[in-house]
Amino acid sequence: MWTTLDPRARLLSVLAATILIASTPRGHLLPFLLYFPLIVVGIVVCSNASWRYLIARCVASSPFILMASVLLLFQYDLTADGRPAGIGPAASVAGKGYAASLLLAFLTESTPLAQILWAMRKLGSPESLNLILGMMYRYTALLEEEWTRLERARNSRTVRPFGFTQMFGVYGRQLGILLVRSWERAERVHAAMLARGFDGSWPVWKPATFAWVDGLFLTCCTGAFAVARFLG
Amino acid sequence: MHIADGILPNVWCGAAHGVAWAAVYGLGRKVETHEIVRMGLLASAAFVISLVHFPLGGTSVHLGLYGLIGILLSFRAFPVIFAALLFQTLLFQHGGLLSLGLNAVNMGSGALLASLIWRSPWKADVPKAFVCGFVGILVPALLLATEFAMVGYGRGFYFIAMLYLGVAALEGALTAVVVSFLRRTKPTVFA
Repeated sequence: MWTTLDPRARLLSVLAATILIASTPRGHLLPFLLYFPLIVVGIVVCSNASWRYLIARCVASSPFILMASVLLLFQYDLTADGRPAGIGPAASVAGKGYAASLLLAFLTESTPLAQILWAMRKLGSPESLNLILGMMYRYTALLEEEWTRLERARNSRTVRPFGFTQMFGVYGRQLGILLVRSWERAERVHAAMLARGFDGSWPVWKPATFAWVDGLFLTCCTGAFAVARFLG
Repeated sequence: MHIADGILPNVWCGAAHGVAWAAVYGLGRKVETHEIVRMGLLASAAFVISLVHFPLGGTSVHLGLYGLIGILLSFRAFPVIFAALLFQTLLFQHGGLLSLGLNAVNMGSGALLASLIWRSPWKADVPKAFVCGFVGILVPALLLATEFAMVGYGRGFYFIAMLYLGVAALEGALTAVVVSFLRRTKPTVFA
């Protein structure tokens, strides 16, 4: 169901849910008893997203979320009965962080990047940004290729391991030559793309139309999170 | 240094989104064809280099190239950094959709300040490039620490920002080497 929705509906649903979750006041933990089941049920019912991937992405976000939570824990004094008063606020910040990470991971796992960029373009993102994103899509692979070539060339000419200062100079110059070589190749690639009719937009598998089902899904999703936020 | 969603208040995230989108619109207007290549390439470079993390003091840090982007792109650096951050958010969940504006404002400020320093009358290129690379990293770290201190997280993030002094020095030195190399081999990139 989820994958047949218009990418705009998917992007806006995730954004609306994230805003509602993030607006939960610090220390309010009850809404999280509704948020997480809502997200889990939503993911299970709507798509066959890989849980292994989703959990791995949440774990990757952990250092920042946990650091913020721990710092917040120490901003509160002890309560009258000797318990740290910061536990509630810290737990709610961690809950918000993980819920938002899970939603974002779900969106990016279930929606191809080209479709998200298409949705942003349709929602009115600036033309310059669309152009940069389009070129990034192509040039990231180009940079990786050039870096691999430079590494191979350097390794084949290096007899001894470098010292720190020597290594620093070598990597700095290698980055410089990477930019020079990529720049020249990028200009050729851009000229070839223009010759083939590139107009700044990237092909999407199936251009979508925003139908009533998309509107209904967006409304229901936002409504469910709003209920959890205000009644929880 | 990427703020995740749900950590800072929605009002802050919303205001930063407003500023960031206005800056992307304003500073990305009337892009010439020859600029597209340089903007796309540097956005890719910023994206790729920020994925290389190394451990430091219980956390992990990475280079950003914000100073170099400021030097080579001037005010166009902001839309480029916004694009790189958006890619990082969508592909690797570094940061979040809601906090994208805040991250862009923090990191874009470093690049814009570097751009101003590079265009100052100071003649010596290599030390100037070092300072550009240095502020390109340190300014975002200080802004992040200040934002966290202002919304009640205390001053703990200033400690993290101090860890970034080492990264900023590393980035400054790297920027100086790259600028000196580009001056010798392809001076037209500074046009």
